[in-house]
Amino acid sequence: MNRLSSRLKMGGFPALLLALLAAVVSGPVVADADESEAHQWLERLAPALNMTSYRGVFVYARGSQVHSMQIAHRYRDGVVEERLVLQDGGNGEIVRRGVNVVCVLPDRGRVRLDQVIPSGPFAEAFTSQLMPVNRWYNAEMVGEDRVAGYQAVEIALRSRDEYRYSHRLWLERSTGLLVKSHVRAASGDVMEQFQFTSLEITDNIPDEEFEIRTEGREISRNLSEEEGVAKASVVPRTSGWELGWRPEGFAPAAAPRAGRGQAVAFSDGLAAFSVFVEPAGRLKMPRGVSRIGATTVYMHELESSGRKFLVTVVGEVPPETARKVAESVRIQDSLALEGSGS
Amino acid sequence: MDDRLRETLSAMMDDEADELSVRRLLSHHDQAHVRDQWQRWQQVRDLMHSGHTPAEGVDVSASVRAALDGRSGVTPYRASARGATPVTRWRWPAVAMVAVALVVGFGAGAGWDSREGPAASVAPEVAAQSLPDETAATAPVSEVTLQGLDEEQWEQMSQYLLEHAQHNSVGAGRGAVGYARVVSAGNGY
Repeated sequence: MNRLSSRLKMGGFPALLLALLAAVVSGPVVADADESEAHQWLERLAPALNMTSYRGVFVYARGSQVHSMQIAHRYRDGVVEERLVLQDGGNGEIVRRGVNVVCVLPDRGRVRLDQVIPSGPFAEAFTSQLMPVNRWYNAEMVGEDRVAGYQAVEIALRSRDEYRYSHRLWLERSTGLLVKSHVRAASGDVMEQFQFTSLEITDNIPDEEFEIRTEGREISRNLSEEEGVAKASVVPRTSGWELGWRPEGFAPAAAPRAGRGQAVAFSDGLAAFSVFVEPAGRLKMPRGVSRIGATTVYMHELESSGRKFLVTVVGEVPPETARKVAESVRIQDSLALEGSGS
Repeated sequence: MDDRLRETLSAMMDDEADELSVRRLLSHHDQAHVRDQWQRWQQVRDLMHSGHTPAEGVDVSASVRAALDGRSGVTPYRASARGATPVTRWRWPAVAMVAVALVVGFGAGAGWDSREGPAASVAPEVAAQSLPDETAATAPVSEVTLQGLDEEQWEQMSQYLLEHAQHNSVGAGRGAVGYARVVSAGNGY
């Protein structure tokens, strides 16, 4: 408020007043039109991510940590081809053709890679199609912007309650490709961001740009068979425990059976959190909250029929949300957890 | 290495260690262990903040030791005077932190008995103890400093982060699935 009033004094007073007046007078109408336009853009988001062909470099930052990756993405005859090259840290690249993925790992050890997952923007883009995002977020056209040389529309998705963060998306005007995104706290601070720094949208990407060029340990994966598993586990696997509370709008999401069994993911279409429950073993974990950019880790200990359990909530949600979720976990059958926990 | 030393290391990472503690750390009998711990935390911190640890392969330990010695001439601390002496807070600029990492490895400093009784104060991670249930609704969320985690704890935490990222991408559809899965393969589970 202070900042605003000082701004008013500093000049531009008539213009601002006029703008405010205009906003008040035409408020509801503009808002409606705005919201539907924003939703039209959001609907283009998911298909655009797969079906646009482009090459470029993007940066992904959360907290004070920044990574940049070079990407080439081609959609031809219904098949997606993609090649990602890590631009910092160790050498490494990921090549995908349809459902086949080959990854050449950085030689600098395994911890490097887990920092590199582009969890934010891509995930957001896809889920927004599946969930009624507008019930939990207020969508609004912010205006025009220019990102990596392309004209883009800027859309604000403001959280309607305090249980989630707000988001801001920039979509390239002609294709709807996501070129930039922010996750923001209520204060307006940017906690996580993704942005193309150079981009070329073109259908003309030669085959050799999708070939592996880094030498190193290769790991191949076929996504299709695993996807079957993922589909089968859409029903949450909360064997032995249940959530007493979760913010409205967060529904169980499909999750791979990759880990050690007791994790369940929830998503509201934009944000997601995972809940891990396992017997507190030999390893003593601290209790409390940690944050990396927009990602919160909340660890909580729970006792049930004489046994201790470690409850961990990880997600792009405010710490308070993570805490409430973690503390709402109830153990139903400690034996079921003991059995599959390790 | 006891909790107090760990705490000192942690405080150094946070730029908040006092000279007394640092000296005690430097005189710890198992310098290799202290150095390892420091380096692990540095690496963790490095990962979290995407900074760099130029400590590897750089030798500035001699000059830092000289600096330490110079300082000790001005303010001679004694073990017996501990507690009574007002503890001056040392500021640890980045360069000094790197330097200390090397000095810790070097085994500089002498005469301090590191094996004192049980740690007077608990390590940061224990300080972040869970909130009592009845106050849970209003109590502020306690912060866990990632620097305070030991290697195993860090590994556990990064595994959670990783799995979450996978959930995120799978729930989301095609886009990031490949990368997340592959990354998981790289992590051996």
